[in-house]
Amino acid sequence: METESLEELSFGTLSALDVMGTRLELFEAGSGAPLLFLHGLDGLEGAAPLLHELAHSFSVFAPSHPGFGASQGSPRINRVDDLGYFYLDMLNQLGLARPVIVGTSFGGWVAAEMLTKEPGRASQLVLVSPLGLPTADRREQHVADIFMLSRQELGARMQVGDPGPGSDMKTLTKLPEDRLRRLMRNDEAASHFGWTPYMANPKLGDRTHRITSSTLLAWGEQDAIVSERYRQDWRKALPDAEVEIFAGAGHRVHADQPAGLASRIAAFAGR
Amino acid sequence: MKIWQFSEQAYHPAFQQPGAMRVTLPQSKCDPFEAGRLLNRYLDEYMLADELGLNIMVNEHHAAATCMSTSCMTTLAILARQTSKAQLLALGIPLANRSNPLRVAEEIAMVDALSGGRLEVGLVKGAAYELFMSNRQPTGFMDRFWEAHDLILAALSNQGDNFSWEGEHFHYRTVSMWPRPIQQPHPPIWMTASSATSAREYGKRGYTCATFLSGAVARSVFTGYREAYVQAHGEQPGQDKLAYLALVACAGDRKTAFARAEKMKSYFTTAARLDPQFRNPLGFSPVDANIRMLQAGANAMRPRMRNGDPLPVDGTIEQYMDAGLFFVGTPDDVHEQLARFHDETGGFGNLLMMGQAGELGHADTVDNLTLVGREVAPRLAELSTQPIEVRYEAVG
Repeated sequence: METESLEELSFGTLSALDVMGTRLELFEAGSGAPLLFLHGLDGLEGAAPLLHELAHSFSVFAPSHPGFGASQGSPRINRVDDLGYFYLDMLNQLGLARPVIVGTSFGGWVAAEMLTKEPGRASQLVLVSPLGLPTADRREQHVADIFMLSRQELGARMQVGDPGPGSDMKTLTKLPEDRLRRLMRNDEAASHFGWTPYMANPKLGDRTHRITSSTLLAWGEQDAIVSERYRQDWRKALPDAEVEIFAGAGHRVHADQPAGLASRIAAFAGR
Repeated sequence: MKIWQFSEQAYHPAFQQPGAMRVTLPQSKCDPFEAGRLLNRYLDEYMLADELGLNIMVNEHHAAATCMSTSCMTTLAILARQTSKAQLLALGIPLANRSNPLRVAEEIAMVDALSGGRLEVGLVKGAAYELFMSNRQPTGFMDRFWEAHDLILAALSNQGDNFSWEGEHFHYRTVSMWPRPIQQPHPPIWMTASSATSAREYGKRGYTCATFLSGAVARSVFTGYREAYVQAHGEQPGQDKLAYLALVACAGDRKTAFARAEKMKSYFTTAARLDPQFRNPLGFSPVDANIRMLQAGANAMRPRMRNGDPLPVDGTIEQYMDAGLFFVGTPDDVHEQLARFHDETGGFGNLLMMGQAGELGHADTVDNLTLVGREVAPRLAELSTQPIEVRYEAVG
């Protein structure tokens, strides 16, 4: 599909970038030190308020992951492990030696995969409500199963504030077709990468010790997707990471408190 | 026209529970002794169908009170031994929900051998909501389906040496059928379609094409099939390549027939009881199909009545009859209704008959099957078996 303009991203430019034969939708905005932003299950558009804030301090590079938004998908890129290699190739292509790398939720998992493969590739690494570690232990679930929730319930649980557009069937069916297509592609890609093992790479925890970039782990205090136990698993996986808890924010910290999150990222990156 | 007895083998005592009948219904609501009694009863009814000269169709579902047959081939293994004449149809084996297609081929071969070559095999995708039980990957569903299909056909039809298989989705060091199937190159293959597009693929391959409870849409399904069949094979398909599934409630008088139909109707109302997020798991339907479904609205997929209105789930028996999903009345009535529907759809050679459905009890089912077997089936057998011109446009 073609990359079209998105109203909420009008403060930057959307363009198409060919990475190893896969056509990627890439958003660029702002000026300053380079920052790679890796979006979550809500897609590039779901992070628009945070990107707007980050663009004040950074040159932001924010791709839609293969299969999400208007980025081409590939049956050969079906593991987040594949995405890790894919984005390292993209950084080389863009000439980004050591950007700040920020990933939210699913994007946090992608960022962690990249850094286990090239441990020092980020000048600073920020993982906000990351997925990727095993999400359950037999009968005990540590992360809510998004595939078992109704669209409405999932929409409501993702953040403390109002749900994103199309989070219930009534508004969904009234969306313009290009918007609907993006949402349906985001859903499909979430399933492609995260159906099973559920939103996890069972090997990731064996590899996180390789990450040498200084790391900030952040969560919303009222995250209704990942449990306290799961956050502890991430702290153990990255024992040297700084930890920031945003009071009053949910899983999509970037939607609930975009300015607060952006200034914390800027402070952590020394900007 | 051949008639195939079919029951979903419901655990109907659970129908009184509130909420969903599939996926999330607590298993604690199942009394296994009651389940065993019901399963044996349904097998008795299948054996009666065999005695009456009817054929047999079995399906499977998972985590559902609406269907206790969790394996077509397990049920058919019993019937292969306990029946003697009936063709035995599995419709179908949910391939894309199966992790091990070689095991599927082995079960087909074993039941074909056990039944003396009476097995017919439906290879179907599987219900979307059963991805939650199989946990197979929703994306790439159809690629996996066709690779499993290719492997199963290769295994069943193999006359040569054992072989190995390194595919995209499946990997085997040794494929070796012990026993081999009696029918060569393989038992007849069936597939199911709800649109002309999917029917065309099956017409090209020459498989038997069934459409379920689709009413007027059956005509376009069959038309698509015939067109593709003629194109690929240079001749019209026999009507035995086409099948239609519907409910039949037959009795000596109309009042009793309608009373039976009322007991069967819970098949329709319970089938619809499923939480919405399970109907269409993320990644299962192609993006374009999802967009079309959302834009078309909830009623777009419902069968239509003759006036063009969507058939309500809780519609009356008359409305279900009007839409071509239910055939109800005396043997004369049922014959007349079926002959008319047969003509309207351009002709089909197989009626997949739910002669038991919902809460219909044993005595009623026995009488229903007996009347159909003795009084309706012989007359339906006389229906034209040649492709016929579509004479009515009313069901379009």
